[in-house]
Amino acid sequence: MIALLLAILTVIVFASRYVFLEPRLPLKLGPRLQKLLGYSTPAVLAAIIGPLVFIRDETLITDISNPYLIGTAVAVALILITRNTLLTTVLSMLVFWLVH
Amino acid sequence: MSEPEITESPKLKRFLKGGLNMAPLTIAVAPWGFLVGAYALEVGLNVLEAQSLSMFVFAGTSQLVALGLIQSQAGLLAIIISTLLITSRHLLYSMALREKISPLPLRWRLGLGFLLTDELFVNTPLNDGKPLDRWFALGGGLSFYIGWNLATLAGIIAGRYIPNLTELGLDFAIVATFTAILVPMIRTPATAACVATSLSVAIICAALGWQMGLLLAIVSGMAVGFIFAQAQEYLQ
Repeated sequence: MIALLLAILTVIVFASRYVFLEPRLPLKLGPRLQKLLGYSTPAVLAAIIGPLVFIRDETLITDISNPYLIGTAVAVALILITRNTLLTTVLSMLVFWLVH
Repeated sequence: MSEPEITESPKLKRFLKGGLNMAPLTIAVAPWGFLVGAYALEVGLNVLEAQSLSMFVFAGTSQLVALGLIQSQAGLLAIIISTLLITSRHLLYSMALREKISPLPLRWRLGLGFLLTDELFVNTPLNDGKPLDRWFALGGGLSFYIGWNLATLAGIIAGRYIPNLTELGLDFAIVATFTAILVPMIRTPATAACVATSLSVAIICAALGWQMGLLLAIVSGMAVGFIFAQAQEYLQ
């Protein structure tokens, strides 16, 4: 059962990553579509961060003392001030652990 | 083989540079990989199955959701549909990278396709007008793959001895890193609109328990950013 599930999931995930990399697939991306796709990276990052910060067990957390929210606020402030990715990550994780 | 080289620097150097460039993300997802390993055992998978999940499926969100569904006794069909919905965002990545990767030989397409995670996509320049540095991309993708699997292994080992590992809040590492990457990207009002939309839609969908929320959030964020930019252009 698990082995079958693993095989199916492997095929699904790989297919979704590969399908448009196949040159024989007839598809030409116009300049407008390319422009649209240019927004994919920030959209992906925001869509992953949002639920991790504000949702626990399918419930919205409105409490502002939520350690994820505090940690993220610290990360936003640090990256704006320092512009250093590694420093921001490490320090905001430290703050998160202290609050958590 | 006489392929035109993109830069003068040797392949190994570009490969290592790619790995180094990816290192902050590889480190940041380690707690997540660890979580996946520990959680898989908690849910009832054996050691080999738990490791195989990271070796073959190699997709953090899909892995965690699949494990959650196994735990809640969901059927095979429910797990397959959820995976289809969550993984559909990868269609966007392969579309965005089509111009750069589809001209490469088959083995490169298969290899980079397999390694095409959120993180590799985020770390691959899109509109720089240059061809893809394949060795740089491979270095990033492969080092990330190895890191993810080692983290899973560590989680499997630790999970056998320490209970309740999954409640430590290890997932904040990815929030911190993604925030540090995202914020400097917001340089235009259009990108800000894109991010605000994606963020809100993702949160609302997650609160409603919609598995397709991730894709819906990404697509609506992209649409709003694009329309915003078009409107700005039109008004000027």
